[in-house]
Amino acid sequence: MKRRTYLRRTGAGVAGAALLAGCSSTDESGSPDGSDGNGGTTTGTATGTPGEPSGTLTVATYSSFTGEDTAGAWLKSAFEEEYADVTVEFTTPDNGINQFVQRKQQGAPVEADAYVGLNTGELVRVDEQLDEQLFVPVEDQLERADTVEDSLRIDPDGRAIPYDTGFISLVYDEDEVPDPETFDSLLEPEFEDGLIAQNAQQSDPSRAFVLWTVHEYGPDEYLDYWDGLVDNGVRILSDWEPAYNAYTNEEAPMVVSYSTDQVYYHGEGVDMSRHQVGFLDDQGYANPEAMATFADSDNQRLAREFMNFALTEEAQAEIAVRNVQFPAVAGVDPGGDFGQYALRPPEPVTFTYDELAGNVGTWIDDWARQVVSG
Amino acid sequence: MGATSRQRVTGRTLDRLALPAGVVLTLAVLVVVFYYPVGSVLAAAVSDDGGLSLAPLLAVLGDPFYTGVAHHVVTDPLSIPGGVAEWVRAGPSLPSFGLLGFTAYQAALSTGASVLLGLPGAYLLSRYEFRGRATLRSLTILPFVLPSIMVAVGFIAMFGRTGVFNDLLGLVGLGPVNLLFTLELVVLAHAFYNAPLVIRLVTAAWEDVDARHVETARAMGASPVRAFWDVVLPQLRPALLTAALLTFLFTFMSFPIVLALGGLQLATVEVWLYARVQNLALTEAATLGVIETAISLALTYLYLRYEARQTATRAGGPSLERRALLAGRATLRDPRRVALLGYGVVALLVFVGPLASLLAESVTGPNGAFTTAYYEFLLEQQAATVSGTTRPLPAVRNSLVFAAGTLLVAVPMGVVVSLVATRGGRGSRLAEAGLTAPLAVSGIVVGLGLLQVLVFGTVLAGRRYTVTGPVAIVLAHAVAAYPFVSRNVTPALASIDSQLVAAARSLGATRLRTLVDIELPLIAAAVVAGAAFTVAISVGEFDSTVLLAEGVESYTMPVALERYIGNRSLGPNLGPATAMGSILLFVTAASFVVIDRVGGRWQP
Repeated sequence: MKRRTYLRRTGAGVAGAALLAGCSSTDESGSPDGSDGNGGTTTGTATGTPGEPSGTLTVATYSSFTGEDTAGAWLKSAFEEEYADVTVEFTTPDNGINQFVQRKQQGAPVEADAYVGLNTGELVRVDEQLDEQLFVPVEDQLERADTVEDSLRIDPDGRAIPYDTGFISLVYDEDEVPDPETFDSLLEPEFEDGLIAQNAQQSDPSRAFVLWTVHEYGPDEYLDYWDGLVDNGVRILSDWEPAYNAYTNEEAPMVVSYSTDQVYYHGEGVDMSRHQVGFLDDQGYANPEAMATFADSDNQRLAREFMNFALTEEAQAEIAVRNVQFPAVAGVDPGGDFGQYALRPPEPVTFTYDELAGNVGTWIDDWARQVVSG
Repeated sequence: MGATSRQRVTGRTLDRLALPAGVVLTLAVLVVVFYYPVGSVLAAAVSDDGGLSLAPLLAVLGDPFYTGVAHHVVTDPLSIPGGVAEWVRAGPSLPSFGLLGFTAYQAALSTGASVLLGLPGAYLLSRYEFRGRATLRSLTILPFVLPSIMVAVGFIAMFGRTGVFNDLLGLVGLGPVNLLFTLELVVLAHAFYNAPLVIRLVTAAWEDVDARHVETARAMGASPVRAFWDVVLPQLRPALLTAALLTFLFTFMSFPIVLALGGLQLATVEVWLYARVQNLALTEAATLGVIETAISLALTYLYLRYEARQTATRAGGPSLERRALLAGRATLRDPRRVALLGYGVVALLVFVGPLASLLAESVTGPNGAFTTAYYEFLLEQQAATVSGTTRPLPAVRNSLVFAAGTLLVAVPMGVVVSLVATRGGRGSRLAEAGLTAPLAVSGIVVGLGLLQVLVFGTVLAGRRYTVTGPVAIVLAHAVAAYPFVSRNVTPALASIDSQLVAAARSLGATRLRTLVDIELPLIAAAVVAGAAFTVAISVGEFDSTVLLAEGVESYTMPVALERYIGNRSLGPNLGPATAMGSILLFVTAASFVVIDRVGGRWQP
């Protein structure tokens, strides 16, 4: 619980309502409740045994992580079952992590304990924007942090811990085009007007795809490659959903998407020909999703418990199946349909935090300007 | 004696205070949820480390990516004569004016298309009688409430490579045409969104034309064409130009639909503004916002100056008689009626096509077969017990509650602004332009301002005040909607014969009384049209609703729809969202019909 006072008054008339109703005020008198990295303050009921976590944990995440049948809903109920005195609440700010970066910049309170759904580029942006710490290092205090696959670790400072990962690949229609085996082949006439991508300025998979081309051709050559793609008729729509919808409507035979595509499409009587996964040069770009604990949280210990819980084998398998992403912990096999139809690239590639720092913004901006001017 | 005199005194006080009080309340709302938040964002464009600075503006204006050849004006003005001479020598070629130039070009095309598609519709609805005319008129603004992703779905299903339009062309041996990813389709989508504005505004004006004026002109020997040109057109021009101006502003600042149908190669300035905000490059975002706002406000101001010079008056006479649209076999011998039927076909393709396609998509599975899975999904969500689940019925209820609240705030605000505009003296055009500013500022900038000032809170005297929740949402919706009321009402109010008002006043009616008994009935059609727009804006609004909502449990129909887009429980398709979109369509269609029916009672 935050020590906050709410002033709720209902004014008479529009002016009163405009100025008062729905308007709350907080004392700006000082820092949040002190919490050192080790203990943290846990507010609990008198019946809670010492050492047993209790209280309300507020988890900020993206909206599709919550609701019926989601990874978030499973985590909440399983975690609450584990700790009787704990309640998990989700908050889903529409502008994601920016909400908290901007709050920090404006000196507004950060009203969440943990964040779920952070990728490497976002972590780079957080650190470029803020001088002070938004998240605290937790790796040394997390029992299971060392079970996460080394290749997925995104944070040299040990704040953000991956809980799952997607791999960006192409999805193509084998009745229309051959397997696009390499990046270079996409420049060939047989793939003319063949590819739908998304705007990397707003879409995660496309941002990963552009970074993948930087990884393949280098920061000095990737724009030339994109010149070729544009000349060959690549289409760039706003976001993953409109792009995939256009692909479903047969506007083009290839789309930038995820290698888990067939998890949704398999079984009797399903036409798999439009759901072939193309790993260019046998690669797929890894886009790990991580969780972290807010530095301003009064509940850091509980937040760490939650993060640790999300790394248990059971939770990893559940998150993978419900989020349709691969587990981050090595050796976890979700099995079932997921195990059978989620395809891993032969050679996962990705940029590390240090490679992206200072570059990712420029790479994406230059890419966008080139596409618009080209 | 005592009681009546007391009544008279309070009546007089009320009369004297009503308009000033309305103005003060309107301004108070605007300051809290618009001027202050937007000002705090845009201020970043003209400041540098605390001091005033033109550097950010010059950086954008001097960047050929944004302004094309015009960047020389900033970077090297002396080179311009030489540059122009060189361009002339090099032979005819179109110079590039960068992202800003392309955005304006696209907006001009979209405005032209919207007017071309809207005018015949207004003619049809105001001059012809046919079964269902009133309902059709109510439904014209339906496109207004649709989230862009739904328009994209409808348009791809209608005009895509494998869409209905190409199937129809195939039937007559033409096609197929590839429209997706073209500027043509983006312009068409903009017309889909904005032609309804033209139809609604011009229809209201046309229905207000005083039949006696036309009859007088005809009696004095004017031909029908001449009577139209000299009597009717001057009364339509303000509404038509208002609609054109609004369309230009909206399409100039259009964002999601451009990228959802056209692609990044057709990006607008707003696309860049959004990307800057995403990257938290707020100075550059603010700079782009300032440039957009300056262009929009300048256009608005010029238009208002023009509008104020129009002096068409009406005295509440009868409207023009409507002709029957269908006259048996004679219908096909009348070129006007044949042309209207042709227009009907076009309107079916452009307006009904995408909407019907959207409804069809909501019952079509990924393999093209009929399915009720998406509506079953909605029922499942409704029955779900897990917290954080977005349920359809609360979304419908919240939308309607917010819309009703917005009506209560926005309609009086709009009428107050119109009263100020029509009774104004010196400087009132500037004031009116300032009061129309919510139309001239990018939605992304408004959202950012609301986030920083209302959601994060403002510190006053050591306490942090935040403004969120239903009241804040209603006020934000009202600010977005009231200009539509005033844009509908101002021309109607200005055209009222001032002798009528003077007569009523000299007979002892108070100002308030005159407003309620004489003026409001004369402008009822305009107020009702404004009310319909208000509901459309409120129901369709997404950005500030999401920002200002408290917790995951307060969501509206567009917010629910947005969350269903990200829901993968039925696979990566937009089915659940299209089902929610269809519900959104039905609920709003019913609302518009109700508004027009209820509002129609006050019309003379």
